[in-house]
Amino acid sequence: MDRDGRKGAGRSMIDPLVLTQLFNGLILGLIYGLMAIGLTMIWSVTDLPDFSQGGIYIISAYTAYWAITLLKVPYFLALPIGALVGILLSVAFERIIYNRLRPSGVLSCLLAAIALFFLLENIANALWTPKAKIMSVPETEITLNVFGIVTSYHRIIILAISVSLFLFIHFFIKYTKIGMAMRAVAEDREVAELMGIDTSKIYIFTWALGGALTSISAILISPLYAVWPGMGTLPLLKALVVVILGGFGSIIGALIGGLILGLVETFGAVYVSAAYQHGFAFIILLLVLSLRPRGLFGKR
Amino acid sequence: MLRNNRNNEHPEKGLFYSKTIRFLSIIIILIILATLPLYASSYVIFVTAIALLYAMVVAGYDVLLGYTGQLSFCQGAFYGIGAYLSAILTVKYGWSFWQALPISVLFVGLVSVIIGYPALRLRGAYFAVTTFYLAHFVYLILLNEVAITGGPLGFRGIRPPEPIGPISFESIESGYILILFSFIIVYFLLRKFVNSNVGIILKSIAQDDILAESIGINAAVYKLLAFVVSAIIAGYAGVLFAHFFRLLHPTTFSWFLSEMVVIITLVGGAGTLIGPVLGAGIVIFILEFLRFAPEVRYVGWAIALIAVLMFEPKGLIGLIRRMRRG
Amino acid sequence: MVVGSVLGWYFTRPPAAPHVIKIGYSAPFTGPAAEFGTNGWRGILIALEEINEKGVYIKGEKYVVEIIRYDDRCEPTEGAAVARRLILEDGVVAILGSHCSSVCLAIAPLCDEYKVPGITIECAADAVTSPGFEYYFRMRPSTGLMAPLMTPVIVEKLKPSKIAFLAINDDYGRSFVESFKKNFEKYGVSTVAEHYFERGTTDFYPYLTAIKAVKPDIVFYVGVTPEGALILKQARELGLIPEVKFIGSEEMGEYELVSLAGKEVVAGTYAISLWAPKPEIENLALKVKEKFNAPMHYAIVFGYDALHVLVKAIEMAQSLDPVAIKEALKKIEYDGLQGHIKFETFEYEGKLFVNQGRFTPYIIMWTETGEKVPVGP
Repeated sequence: MDRDGRKGAGRSMIDPLVLTQLFNGLILGLIYGLMAIGLTMIWSVTDLPDFSQGGIYIISAYTAYWAITLLKVPYFLALPIGALVGILLSVAFERIIYNRLRPSGVLSCLLAAIALFFLLENIANALWTPKAKIMSVPETEITLNVFGIVTSYHRIIILAISVSLFLFIHFFIKYTKIGMAMRAVAEDREVAELMGIDTSKIYIFTWALGGALTSISAILISPLYAVWPGMGTLPLLKALVVVILGGFGSIIGALIGGLILGLVETFGAVYVSAAYQHGFAFIILLLVLSLRPRGLFGKR
Repeated sequence: MLRNNRNNEHPEKGLFYSKTIRFLSIIIILIILATLPLYASSYVIFVTAIALLYAMVVAGYDVLLGYTGQLSFCQGAFYGIGAYLSAILTVKYGWSFWQALPISVLFVGLVSVIIGYPALRLRGAYFAVTTFYLAHFVYLILLNEVAITGGPLGFRGIRPPEPIGPISFESIESGYILILFSFIIVYFLLRKFVNSNVGIILKSIAQDDILAESIGINAAVYKLLAFVVSAIIAGYAGVLFAHFFRLLHPTTFSWFLSEMVVIITLVGGAGTLIGPVLGAGIVIFILEFLRFAPEVRYVGWAIALIAVLMFEPKGLIGLIRRMRRG
Repeated sequence: MVVGSVLGWYFTRPPAAPHVIKIGYSAPFTGPAAEFGTNGWRGILIALEEINEKGVYIKGEKYVVEIIRYDDRCEPTEGAAVARRLILEDGVVAILGSHCSSVCLAIAPLCDEYKVPGITIECAADAVTSPGFEYYFRMRPSTGLMAPLMTPVIVEKLKPSKIAFLAINDDYGRSFVESFKKNFEKYGVSTVAEHYFERGTTDFYPYLTAIKAVKPDIVFYVGVTPEGALILKQARELGLIPEVKFIGSEEMGEYELVSLAGKEVVAGTYAISLWAPKPEIENLALKVKEKFNAPMHYAIVFGYDALHVLVKAIEMAQSLDPVAIKEALKKIEYDGLQGHIKFETFEYEGKLFVNQGRFTPYIIMWTETGEKVPVGP
């Protein structure tokens, strides 16, 4: 029943439906990976698993929604606008809140991050009502047929943007001065300070980068799904699992871990149980923590 | 709140410095609570009962968070398991409440051991994330295993506890007294627990578990103990809830519940046992009070939470103690 | 602490104005079901205006109606607290609400216990009125009653042999699928897939892919409009529409679906619609647009009807005694915007229904211009 009418001889060996699932799983995985990269960077550099990114995810998605529907901004512009919001919020939280709480210990910062998530979610609830909003973006309407896979132009955009972002960040961390400074701080903060690295500037930069990544992943996925106040919880949790799966502090790990989770979820949802589709991440988490706690590429 | 007002009026007097005054005020509050059914409407009794259940859960949770320093998000799961198991045993298998109660609580304890043993070996945030997922997983089971739990159709027809002698638990007042009684006993036992040597060990683990281990303390065992204790208490509260409210629905046991438990413990003042209890009372009553302003309720709430964390990380108790010192 | 709060309430409550009828409203205003409460409230507010303009006359005295509303978050413990507060603290003579079946099940026994009548706005699960409560009333047919009425219409007009269900995983969705499944079986239509999704799900691709694999003729999708819009969008992307016919639950018969998904996406799909496209509805829709700048929604219709029915019953009873109001409700007949409202007690398929209304819903189809045309009965 596929649209390109390949019913006779010369049919591809793999069922096009499976190929579609494969592709969709990869795309989903890329989104998870993007957010996980941001989280793993923040976590390894600043020691804080930043739960508030879940809230930032929500707010940047709404910002993009607002820009697209009210200000009639094209989608490509909405991305940087939303990313800007993500950067501002992340940096603001660091400067105003985490900075102050750091002397009290990581637990306090973690709790503050959770509280901020809670706050942002409820603000979204109050400002935009709990009903889901659909971000209509013309790129999602254009459907393509590639090797029997029915997909939309938008998903190709996701593919392009995620891959390029990943490459950019990978080379950035590896070869630029700031990137190396970030790695140094992640390795050992005190030593890095002794070497003359301004850790507070690095912190700000890391947070900005993380916030940007979270926002972009939120805005990339929004046209496919919907924008609603509760949209941040599950992506945050999944991203955390991906960070653990990929290995603490590893960017490649975050990407590959994301892909794995995306595929497992997509195939699991169709072939095992759609009701428990969010439970697969839990199972992966348990497996990783019991069999190989440092993850795929983790150092510690 | 009575206490706070008095403090504000006479900052130099250090009112709660004296142990007798503290003791007396506790007695007064207990008397008020115990005699509530005599003069308050069923509405107030109902809300107070719910507040007491929350107070029980957060007190148990404080042992884990405040005293042992482990952040966990699955209290709602244990509450739910206790509630549903007792409901299933009494409704589907005809057990009596008094038989179902210990078995349900033991089962919750067992589950917490099975989960806690591997999970607690993880460091802070990993453990927290795992418990987050666990809570959601339990919720998914409650929601989807419709044949056992009724899922979204709800679980109805739960009976009140069978009468002991002449005492019947049919009415809302008697259910409330049972909950109040349970709370008092649980709190008393917890107080003894945290003030004992075990409590000191737990606190040392919260400070620095590696250091604690270096002087020969098996941190893993004690963390597990704290985890199990908090789980059992949550399970017990769940059983009481099931037979008090007599209708179970998965939405009652969602993330929201676990979140509330954590928030109340923090706002009340983790690590003091009385803090979270007071926090439960205040939070539940303020939320009830604000019922007519639904849209604002939770935002105001979240802001309050952040304010607490920023300005008084020790929560309400910290605030009171600061005022005490003038 | 408790005494402080209780005293606080007693001292800050304003004294009741003379000649006021107090009616309570429990609904979700926050949480995922918030749109139902918000819309029900809109319907109630418009009806309230109409009623208070004329006033309610009991034994020659003029009364105005006051509605006290509280949020129950679609959660049964909240609903129970709200009901108790309304009855015991606020002294309402009747309760409107709620919207979620789980909450209705918590409120109904309290109505019986305190002998205060309650009208549910839209709870759909059978259990709310079967075996039922003496003091609790429902206007719209429950899912158990809708299915036997709608199935023959669907079978006749769309002639399916295989059907798939994609429903929201709550009491509403589950009872919906249960009753329709049974009824379709009677007509030889087999169910080839049955999937449930959580409220707030936005990714339906896995479900739709699984459904596509089993090749049904009809997909019955149950949920709220944003979910419906996404389902249709994603189904089109996967190539399911228009080969497979999609029928939506009552929400999908609302204009909001069109505004969310777009006319092109919705055109050609079907839905159940609980109210007849009468001119009065168009009037109400205009008022809603004027007053709230919001689209029409069936919860508005239900809220509107519920308050009117209740006030009419109060007038019939010529008394503010809740028991008398209950008796009046049992006897009342009222032409609401939904249809002819009458609370009957009857048996159906071995189940006893108490205080339950019965009228036949419509099947509509969406046109290319975003209008709906009735297709049956």
